[in-house]
Amino acid sequence: MTMCRGSCQGAGRPDMTPVYPTAGSYPDFARLVNRDTAQVDRRVFSDEAVYQAELRQIFARAWLFLAHESQIPGPGDFIRTSMGEDDVIIVRQRDGSVKALLNSCPHRGNRVCMVDAGSKARGFICNYHGWSFGLDGGLRGTDGKVYEKDESFEKAQIGLTPVAQVASYKGLIFGTFDPEAPSLEEFLGDFTFYLDIMLDNEEGGTEFVGGAIRSEIDCNWKFPAENFVGDILHAFWTHQSGAQAILGGGVDLGKRYDELAFQASVYGHGIETNLDKVGNTRTLGYPELVDYVFDLSERARARLGEVRARAIGAVSSATVFPNMSFLPGQNTFRVWHPRGPGKIELVSWTIVNRNAPERIKDLYRKGVMMTFSPGGVFEMDDGENWEYSTRVNQGFVTRQQPLHYALGLGSEDLERNLPGIVHKGSLNDANQRLFYTRWAEFMEHDNWADLQNGATAAPARTRAAAE
Amino acid sequence: MIELCNSTDVVEGEILRRDVDGLPAVALTRHEGQIFVFPDTCPHAEESLSEGWVEDGRVVCGVHFAEFELGSGEVHNRPAGCPNLTFFTCEDRDGKVFARLKEEA
Repeated sequence: MTMCRGSCQGAGRPDMTPVYPTAGSYPDFARLVNRDTAQVDRRVFSDEAVYQAELRQIFARAWLFLAHESQIPGPGDFIRTSMGEDDVIIVRQRDGSVKALLNSCPHRGNRVCMVDAGSKARGFICNYHGWSFGLDGGLRGTDGKVYEKDESFEKAQIGLTPVAQVASYKGLIFGTFDPEAPSLEEFLGDFTFYLDIMLDNEEGGTEFVGGAIRSEIDCNWKFPAENFVGDILHAFWTHQSGAQAILGGGVDLGKRYDELAFQASVYGHGIETNLDKVGNTRTLGYPELVDYVFDLSERARARLGEVRARAIGAVSSATVFPNMSFLPGQNTFRVWHPRGPGKIELVSWTIVNRNAPERIKDLYRKGVMMTFSPGGVFEMDDGENWEYSTRVNQGFVTRQQPLHYALGLGSEDLERNLPGIVHKGSLNDANQRLFYTRWAEFMEHDNWADLQNGATAAPARTRAAAE
Repeated sequence: MIELCNSTDVVEGEILRRDVDGLPAVALTRHEGQIFVFPDTCPHAEESLSEGWVEDGRVVCGVHFAEFELGSGEVHNRPAGCPNLTFFTCEDRDGKVFARLKEEA
């Protein structure tokens, strides 16, 4: 693109239609995940070129969690969040629909919304030259004195860039920058079967209570994402002292572990659970919550079936690829926003059933703050590990040594009638291997046909189990 | 005074724009039954007030969200340099809205 040199007569008016990025293919990066030997190259956690490829291949294409419907109930209600490193505004329209907009003025790029959240906004005005945008992102006016008299200025063409697609699944709003991305439900695939453990265990669905807790951790975003996708193993060591303080005993996966516990993965999204009903809820330290979840689990059997009803409060964790995670029963819900290869911004909320008694909601809010917040018992345990894993992996010689992801090789469960790729036992690296396999698929493929039909897709035989 | 429109054209809570020969466009609204007439051009940045809305007895400019009290024209939530809005004297004469849009001799 060249700008005119003083003699142009307006022949080249600016084309201000949104530009959405295109994907490429990075086979060399895809090979950093070795599926044959269950090894991951440490450079995935520190290499700047790999990180830039992640922003293009993953964060500019995948459906990313934006907000819970309950955060923006009315017209003009909005929150500010990130998609990868891109700042976006999520705002409820007057017709009740939701739009997501890049939080950047098309004039000089300044941020147009400065606050984290608000209600009943009338629009967003850029602080630099007064350009004003409606809730739909359209330019409503400028300084009103110069541009209005400039015949080359086409107001109707200009606005905040909309996120290409926005959709909801049972209260969770997601968006993608890729106009070609398949529907949200196709992206989630049969993993919705497991999301419903948290999102649909009772009439009325869920809501977020209290505000967001924000913190920064000097770690690569994939360490927390892979931890929640299927690493309950760490709890026995990392969280042993915290568990003893709260529970009066160590982490225990129950007498029926061999029979009940499993990991399930679809398109890199994963859940691990031991189906002990209330193990996660117990870590909050309130017996009243344990009673609540026992009762909820009983009532949910008709709605969700035996397996998922037992999972509501069980020792378990889940990640939706790439960077949204939650703990069923413990009720912390979070997003790990990348801020370079060695830093994340963690935003976490407390999720509860909308129809739960107020006292129960409040106990969850307090329990989550005491366990999974920057000052919480378990968050501090985890953060230190992820920071040292990130930092030490940068050593020149260190980063040439591959990492071991081989626990549970050959443990795939072909008998159990559950959706997704299912492995026996929750103490297993299976979901983490599939998380990195999904990561490699995103690095490798420049199209969704290949992305949705590779090794991480749920086997056809398990599809029926999701029905 | 100049005739602007039928008084039934002015609907509670909505802003109607009227072009007048030889004068800047005007805007009309009705609040709690009473009709108000004011310049359509916002005194701040020359945007059209009829593209804004009425909220809690105030005209809100839809561009920079200055709020003007109906009647007094006193400005609230004002962008720097935004003056008050001047309302025109108006009357409902047998179902027609008349307003004094300029000083008459």
